[in-house]
Amino acid sequence: MRYGMGPEVLRDVSFHLAPGSFHFLTGPSGAGKTSLLKLMFMAQRPSRGLITMFGRDIATLPRAELPDLRRRVGVVFQEFRLLDHLTTYENVALPLRIQGRPEASYRDDVRELLAWVGLGERMQARPPTLSGGEKQRAAIARAVVAQPDLLLADEPTGNVDPEMGKRLLRLFMELNRLGTSILIATHDHALVEEAGATELMLKGGRLTIRG
Amino acid sequence: MANTPAKPASDDPAVLGEEPPRKGYAAMLSALLVETRSVMPSAGATGLSLVLVIAAMCFLASLALGAALSVSHVTSDWTRDLSGALTIEVKPTNAMTPDEQIRAVLYVLSRSEGVVSAKALGHEDMKALLEPWLGTGNVTDDLPLPHLIDVRIDATSPPDLEALAQAIVAVAPGAQLDTHRQWQDQLMSAARAAEWLAYAVLIVVAATMVAIVTFATRAGLSANREVVEVLHLTGARDRFIAAEVQRHFLHLGFRGGMIGLFLSLTAFLALALQGSNTTMFMVPMSGLRLEYYPALLFVPLAAALVSVLTARITVMRTLHRLL
Ligand SMILES: Nc1ncnc2c1ncn2[C@@H]1O[C@H](COP(=O)(O)OP(=O)(O)O)[C@@H](O)[C@H]1O
Ligand SMILES: [Mg+2]
Repeated sequence: MRYGMGPEVLRDVSFHLAPGSFHFLTGPSGAGKTSLLKLMFMAQRPSRGLITMFGRDIATLPRAELPDLRRRVGVVFQEFRLLDHLTTYENVALPLRIQGRPEASYRDDVRELLAWVGLGERMQARPPTLSGGEKQRAAIARAVVAQPDLLLADEPTGNVDPEMGKRLLRLFMELNRLGTSILIATHDHALVEEAGATELMLKGGRLTIRG
Repeated sequence: MANTPAKPASDDPAVLGEEPPRKGYAAMLSALLVETRSVMPSAGATGLSLVLVIAAMCFLASLALGAALSVSHVTSDWTRDLSGALTIEVKPTNAMTPDEQIRAVLYVLSRSEGVVSAKALGHEDMKALLEPWLGTGNVTDDLPLPHLIDVRIDATSPPDLEALAQAIVAVAPGAQLDTHRQWQDQLMSAARAAEWLAYAVLIVVAATMVAIVTFATRAGLSANREVVEVLHLTGARDRFIAAEVQRHFLHLGFRGGMIGLFLSLTAFLALALQGSNTTMFMVPMSGLRLEYYPALLFVPLAAALVSVLTARITVMRTLHRLL
């Protein structure tokens, strides 16, 4: 894929994520990790090539069917993209609210999840008043709250201390154990080694698979 | 995430307004009066100025509606009054004596279709008519007065007044049919024009409101592009976003409408209290008739409806252009 008339960012990329698998996506900064994830959560369309998500070719997917597909994918954005006018609680509950679930049916789950990522005391705070690490954890909580079939996380441990990084990795592994496929873009090699999962390496627009 | 190792959920007060679900009209009313938190940021300062603009629009709309209703009431009164009297004025001429003139006119009237009765006013009748202006005793017998004939016509099948007027002049020169009708016709058409003008004002006001709300909705969406994109990526459908946006506009519209209604009620009540016989477009403006006040309630409801529909349509159309 390419941005506008720019150079082709991803050129030779071919892989398959089995349901319930756990992968890391690594590569130097600017290698195109974020770009690849954007393709996968359908924020960008590929300029060429075939991308199939849950058995659907996303290039020909009608616009009206995008929401259903996106609800099966949880995304942790590199720059978090929390909604500043909502509280942390509301941000995390957003995917459930969008699915039309009544608040009473998920309130306790959301609080429990927030407490688990260490934001129990910050539920009513708005994102601008959160620290970088807190924002990151809120973004992760939002991505996992609806138990998606696929979780895409872009540098999800970039702003937290190693201790919290391990804790978050446990959250991802727990989610994976429950059946969610996980793809984590990172350049934190300690994290990759800790998990010992398959590594997709991006470099110069090409993808190689290790492990 | 029920399976995550649990820490006891903190017991802070209700996180979002949790209201017991209400049914029917109560739910509709509470939806209209209480704005629940939206996922879309509300417009803030723009919200207030938008309310004020809508209030001004609704003020104009209420005045126009009140005027239209008043005018149409007056014209229907006039239409009913047409069943009333005609007058024939008999001026003295050298050719005939007044009595001859009157007899000839009465004869023509008695043979005309649609005339119910005709009666020449005697000297005493004339005196009774004039004394309020001239004072008792001042209408002397030698005061030269025209003779008048009072004619009642059948309102359901009135006579052909043109023909009647010609027939009367033919038999009795100096006799003149005063139909009031030509006069009334002109008044009527002026009043009708005023009524249409009032409705035109209503339409222009509605169109302006649509334009303003469209503009505000678009501005709101483009200011919150990031929010819209995050909502989309989280799996929101356009109609979810539209619902969140239009809820905000429902309240803007309704609040503006109520303020406008309140202002116009004040204006109408002030007119009523002043109790003057001022007229506007020949319509007595002694305030709005009591039975028309409820009709003004229609204005804030229409404002809310117009504002909601416009916002919804605008959001759906704008979002459709996004990925
Ligand atoms: N929105 C964009 N418009 C144009 N170029 C972009 C855009 N986003 C990323 N790029 C370019 O694409 C390349 C890959 O970027 P990115 O996918 O963010 O890499 P990574 O996430 O691995 O650091 C970079 O050269 C970057 O400059
Ligand atoms: Mg990146």
